[in-house]
Amino acid sequence: MFDIAVRELAGHRTRTILTALGIFIAITAIVSLGSISAGVNDLISSSTSSIGADTIFVMKHFDMSEMSGPPGSQSIEDMTAEQVAEISEISGVKRTVPIIVSQAGGFFEVDGLNIEDVDLFGGENLEFEEGMWPENDEKAAVLGKVVANSFDAAVGDTILLNKKEVEVAGIFEEGSGAYDLVIIIPYDAANDIYEADGGATQIILEPVDISMVDSIKETVEEEHEDLDAMTMEDALSMMEEMIGTLNIMTFGIGFVTSLVAAIGIIITMYTSVVERKRQIGIMKATGAYGRTILMQILEEGIVISLVSSVLAVGVSFFFVDLINNVLMGGTKLAMITPELAVGAVLYGVLLTILASLYPARMAVKVDPIKAIRGN
Amino acid sequence: MQKENIFDIRDVSKVYCMKGVETHALRGVNLTVKRGEYAAIIGPSGSGKSTLMHIMGCLDTPTKGKVIIEDSDTSEMDDNELARIRREKIGFVFQAYNLIPGLTAIENISLPMRFNGIGKGDAQRRAKELLDKVGLGDRMEHKPSEMSGGEQQRVAIARSLVNDPDVIMGDEPTGNLDSKTSEEIMDVIEDLHKKTGKTVIIVTHDRNIAKRASRKIMMLDGKVAK
Repeated sequence: MFDIAVRELAGHRTRTILTALGIFIAITAIVSLGSISAGVNDLISSSTSSIGADTIFVMKHFDMSEMSGPPGSQSIEDMTAEQVAEISEISGVKRTVPIIVSQAGGFFEVDGLNIEDVDLFGGENLEFEEGMWPENDEKAAVLGKVVANSFDAAVGDTILLNKKEVEVAGIFEEGSGAYDLVIIIPYDAANDIYEADGGATQIILEPVDISMVDSIKETVEEEHEDLDAMTMEDALSMMEEMIGTLNIMTFGIGFVTSLVAAIGIIITMYTSVVERKRQIGIMKATGAYGRTILMQILEEGIVISLVSSVLAVGVSFFFVDLINNVLMGGTKLAMITPELAVGAVLYGVLLTILASLYPARMAVKVDPIKAIRGN
Repeated sequence: MQKENIFDIRDVSKVYCMKGVETHALRGVNLTVKRGEYAAIIGPSGSGKSTLMHIMGCLDTPTKGKVIIEDSDTSEMDDNELARIRREKIGFVFQAYNLIPGLTAIENISLPMRFNGIGKGDAQRRAKELLDKVGLGDRMEHKPSEMSGGEQQRVAIARSLVNDPDVIMGDEPTGNLDSKTSEEIMDVIEDLHKKTGKTVIIVTHDRNIAKRASRKIMMLDGKVAK
């Protein structure tokens, strides 16, 4: 008797809207956070899948606890030219790729490396919308599509990196995952622009053979106490940990908001049952089964939660669009998968059913005689 | 063949326990009501007449004794079976009308049919017929608050008939109405009794109402006096 449930809800508009608002906020929070979780997951897996399993990353030891000042005010220190040379000498190292990493335009990453080394990240497979890779001796850059949009730059234009002019040599096609947000320049250009003195922020090593990964890592860390070497395995587990933390956060916030929403549902449904004791008594007196009453209350919950959850998912699409296009300038940081959308609606309905159970059971226990006697 | 006795009440007692104090509402009531009878249960306040009606109507269960409705012993039934009897065999008309405030006349009348699993369309068609029968064909979409007491009670009578029950039970059905409207409501009930042969049992303390019944059951101190 969903029509009766709808009539009942429409009869108490304010109460219905407030209950719906609670569910709406909870589901919006869950879907929005969940979409970021899903999006980050997707970005990371797309950017790591193109890197070889035998790759070793070397960088300056970084301790979060030693950080002072606001986040972001610290820049990761560079390794010196001597360190780069020493590391390249380690036995078993086939290729040494020093990279100078910096930032531009707020959150775009600038990577300075020799252009022939971009294959380490699957760079050789990237499609260009315009232009091409620069030569190693050029002071030129390749931009991700989002970066190009943000700088409003086309091939042949000049952009400023660290207040120095760099020509745009190429722009990647849109939808290149993490590369949408990256600026790539030749190592020599970066060395010059960021005054790195032949050093590097990061060194990527390729071993002669995958079996040598661990021994290279050990040698790097033994010979250079101030450096950390990370294998692909380490990097993946670190990223998994990051995604795990993000998921726990999403789950935690989702749990708390849904708890608050559930308490709201219990209170409104409880009030509604107390208010309608007489009416429920009449229904029982005229022959309604206990389960008919139970279903009536649950149906009211299902109607409210279905409408507000679907609305919440709809509004979340709008939020995701806002995050991706306004905040992130076009990168798909957040994404709502069909599983997430359907799951969130089901969760909203299930949550409401669970929260309505106690008030509904209370309604079943209403004594029809007591209820109908009162005038 | 239909059974002669529709109600067979055997040695029924009802004890209420409130804050540790026992109140004996019924003390060993024996009573039979035949199919098609028109009976009035009368008696002073607190004599147990309403309690007796609630027990006969399966709204309440006796502390002791048996209530047999058409061969079925209701004292052994669970809540669902009692609900089914209330829905299918008995139509209630209450003093306070007891319509659901948020629903229109037609929705109120069709509700017990919906409980029986009948679809909205069929139930409302039947409700409309009954509303015509009680002379309120033009008030279908009105809510109880938009109707007079007499009109609300007519809607309640229509609701009591919706599942075509064997018995109509009125618990002071005219208690909230003026004498003219009371007569009108009783005319409707009596008309039903005459035309359909339904058993009618009315609880009242109004002599004029009781007078119209063919049988009077006098309650006194929780017992049937005559």
